[in-house]
Amino acid sequence: MKKNNPIIAIVFWSLVSFLTLFPIYWLFVISVKPAVQLFSTPDVMLSDPYWGNYAKVWGDRLLRSYMVNSLVISTGNALLCTILGFFACYALSRFKMAGKESLFFWTITNRMAPPAVFLLPLFLLMTQVYAVGDFRLLDTRIGMILVYCTFNLPFAIWTLRPTLDGIPKELDEAAYVDGASSWKVITEIVFPLCRPGLAVTLILTWVFAWNEYLLAATLTNFNARTLTTGLSEYVTTTGTEWGIMATISVFTLIPALIVFGLVQKHIVAGLTFGAVKG
Amino acid sequence: MQSNRLGWILLAPTLVILFFFGVLPFIYVVYVSFHQWNPFAADPTMIFNGADNFRKIVFDTEFLNSVGVTVLFVLFAVISELVVGYILAQAFMKEFPGKAIFRTIHTLPLIMAPIIVGSVWKLMMTPSIGIIPHYLNEWFGITVNIGMSPVAAFTTIIVMDIWHWTPLVTLTLIAALVSLPPDPFKQAQIDGANKRQIFFHITVPMIAPAVVATVFIRLMDALRTVDEVWMLTGGGPGSATRFVGVHIFKEVFPKTNYGYGSTISVIVLYLTIVACWLLYVTMLAPRNKKE
Amino acid sequence: MKTVFKLAASALALSFATGMANADDAFWKEAAAPYEGVTLRGVTESSPPSLYIREVLAPEFEELTGIRVDIETTSWDQMFDKAIKDMEAGTGIYDMVYIEQDIVYSYLARDFLTDTTQLLADNPALKAPTYDEANFTTFADYFKGENGHLYGIPMEAFIKIYLYRTDLFGDPDIQAAFKEKTGRDLAPATTHAEYTEIAKFFYEYGQENDLQLWGATVQGHTGHAASWYEYVETVAPTFGIYNWGIDADNNYAASVANGGEMNSDTAKEALQWWLDLRQYAPPESNQSTWTEVGTTFGAGRAAQGLVYGENAGWIAADDTKSLVVGKVGVALPPLAEGVMEEVENGEGYIGYYDGGAFGLPSTSKKKEAAALFLQYIGQNEVQPDWAVAAPRVTNTATYDDPKVQDMNEELGGYYDMLKDKGYLFAGAPAYPFHAQLREAMAPTFYNILTGDLTVSEGLDKMAEIAEATLTELGYRK
Repeated sequence: MKKNNPIIAIVFWSLVSFLTLFPIYWLFVISVKPAVQLFSTPDVMLSDPYWGNYAKVWGDRLLRSYMVNSLVISTGNALLCTILGFFACYALSRFKMAGKESLFFWTITNRMAPPAVFLLPLFLLMTQVYAVGDFRLLDTRIGMILVYCTFNLPFAIWTLRPTLDGIPKELDEAAYVDGASSWKVITEIVFPLCRPGLAVTLILTWVFAWNEYLLAATLTNFNARTLTTGLSEYVTTTGTEWGIMATISVFTLIPALIVFGLVQKHIVAGLTFGAVKG
Repeated sequence: MQSNRLGWILLAPTLVILFFFGVLPFIYVVYVSFHQWNPFAADPTMIFNGADNFRKIVFDTEFLNSVGVTVLFVLFAVISELVVGYILAQAFMKEFPGKAIFRTIHTLPLIMAPIIVGSVWKLMMTPSIGIIPHYLNEWFGITVNIGMSPVAAFTTIIVMDIWHWTPLVTLTLIAALVSLPPDPFKQAQIDGANKRQIFFHITVPMIAPAVVATVFIRLMDALRTVDEVWMLTGGGPGSATRFVGVHIFKEVFPKTNYGYGSTISVIVLYLTIVACWLLYVTMLAPRNKKE
Repeated sequence: MKTVFKLAASALALSFATGMANADDAFWKEAAAPYEGVTLRGVTESSPPSLYIREVLAPEFEELTGIRVDIETTSWDQMFDKAIKDMEAGTGIYDMVYIEQDIVYSYLARDFLTDTTQLLADNPALKAPTYDEANFTTFADYFKGENGHLYGIPMEAFIKIYLYRTDLFGDPDIQAAFKEKTGRDLAPATTHAEYTEIAKFFYEYGQENDLQLWGATVQGHTGHAASWYEYVETVAPTFGIYNWGIDADNNYAASVANGGEMNSDTAKEALQWWLDLRQYAPPESNQSTWTEVGTTFGAGRAAQGLVYGENAGWIAADDTKSLVVGKVGVALPPLAEGVMEEVENGEGYIGYYDGGAFGLPSTSKKKEAAALFLQYIGQNEVQPDWAVAAPRVTNTATYDDPKVQDMNEELGGYYDMLKDKGYLFAGAPAYPFHAQLREAMAPTFYNILTGDLTVSEGLDKMAEIAEATLTELGYRK
């Protein structure tokens, strides 16, 4: 299928890219406009950018701490979900456990819950039940890492299952025959083979955690507030500070972009959910 | 093959976390759903009222309406994303200069937070000042007002969703297309099958599992959509975009109607699970058994 | 940048540097000694007065007393949810919560708040010599319980006023054109018909001259409760429909049939008048909450409008955000005949007196330290700079401060109006079910806005829903 005219492909993709990039470009335009210009006739081209919002956001110590929280929570959560998801999928793929397919389906139902109403029980649990002495899980990074598992762990399991299923069982069995321990088989033989699938799981769970808003808005107060909840501070009664919000948004894009860029080449190789077993 | 005990040990951490953060809250929500409970009612306590909430829900036109618009939204959005995603994935199967760059660009919307997506689209769509209505009016004389026209608001949300989530669909479909074995296609060509026949009889069945898995993820996320719609229209105009996620949000947050809000959530969760289960067993399970 | 905002900026720096080196420092140091090292936590709406607390008053207080104050600022709906969850569950996360003037009745009904008057009476050692409840304006009365005690320290207070563009209203050519078209002189409207006439005139003026100018702002969001608020708080009272048309003394009746006024002919006339205004309003109006109304006016897109006073400040004086600096006048809203007489007799009000206070949750575990901070922000001494940084006045003495007087000039006499005419305005009705009833009626209200229901059908239905909801909540027997 290589006989196509590259010009057509390039024109087609340029058009698609324009449509894809425009809202992101517009976000940037808003971030470099002074507030007073926002509600006048829009101008597609950028003239005389105003960097005040960037200085303001960068200089804000609270926002910097939100950024750190976001990084810690999403990285911690993505790692946890990917590793636990890998173990879970290994179990589901290799063992003949009773009811495992129902269990597999059940995990995903955790992602389906409408979040608004689950905030109340989560709040109660994290303040009154999951607490020891003065410590309570509410408003802690570890608390958020665990809460985010409710939507990311099922996702990880669903993404990794086909990858694990795709690795021939004969490989493990051969290793066992050679006298390897279970731990060694899992970590040294199966794990490396799953690398593309693990990479894509890691990045997508990371992005979901990085972008989550509603849970973080309710379940954090001072210590574990994330960057997305920081956005809501600028929806004020005396005017939404679109410029600042857009600037923060641009800041949230940068780490995501870096992480995404790092594993870009693994993404397609790893996203095999449900793909034909090889 | 070793004992199942190791399997359970490997699964244990997952099950424990999901139990404490998924199952326990769910049990609580189910418990509350059998009560009348609004902390700002004359009687602020939880009052057991049996299945009254569930009876009420059947006649709740606001809720039924929100289910209706949600189903419409999910259908439009997910089908469009599948079609667009498939076309793009096929286009990516060919070699052309700059392919890697174009593919990177195409995945960018994925990394944006829904709340940010909602904000940007709100600014782009503000009647008369947003760039899209402004130029639609300037160039084509079309007036678009998402504050007044239900169709405009609904369409905007679908377009926004397509913009945001098609990349995920494209990526999974590329993965599926890449791993297709070439033999059946060669055989079909030798047998003289035309393009349409090949598409429907070979390509579709082979990528079906990937499609179903993608639809799954998109379906459940679309059903939970709150942030973007909240930013863009707040559920309006009227109730045109008051999707169940938004409806539940308004019921539980400002209205503090914890009892009835829980009932709605339980029902919505149940409907979602049933829909996904049907999809799962009809499309995927037989295939798994065969192998 | 106009002087007041320069002042505001330097106030941030100055008040920090100089502190308030006076004799009372000794009291704060001594009273706070037992609580040194304590961290207080408050949650509030992200608004200029709150940011001033976070950025200026809290650090100042910490320096003086060694008590740290963390203020969480968040959006309007998040803020209520978080405070309510905390107080309902009795967690004790917050030592201070923002109480908007309308939700105070819900909080009082649930005993969520600490009686600050009593607390200070019981602990004389905590009572600051510079703090006195009598210093507050009458707005503080909204935060008093049935026993007359204060349950919240006022921190912001505004009225929703009639803003108009002095440059347009004062332009001789425009005045002549207006006279020619309507036969009367161009001046801020005193009746609804005049208001519409002016809106129509400027709408046409904008169209004819190809300007980005419309006749009036309308807070008409079709999916956000802001539109409902504009109708019940701002429009209906000017027609003589008070308290949302609900008669609290008559078993919370809403419908005319049961003795309420929500769907009375006057209410329908009021709503129709407001809906008709939309044809002269900028197109973004049906996506506008209070925020966008301010932005629209600040961008010079409307000739007049009913705007929350908290926005009047930056619209009139902050040239980094507003294009109409120095071109803004304030007036009382247009009224139907007889309303002013009713109001003067104490039977009603002409608009919304909005604002909020800081309250001390009953569930707080650091009440004594919190009481110190609340008194600190209630002192006359801290008010003037605060009023300049974020236009709000809660203490009577603040009006006479020279800095505030200067600002009054820049704001077209807004503070004078707040001081002299504030009594004509009123807070939300004393209902403990504010948000609950609002959200029950709102979807129907949006359907009126989109035209799916006529005004008459819609208000009939709203009255019906109001009564059904109040019955369900147990307030209507």
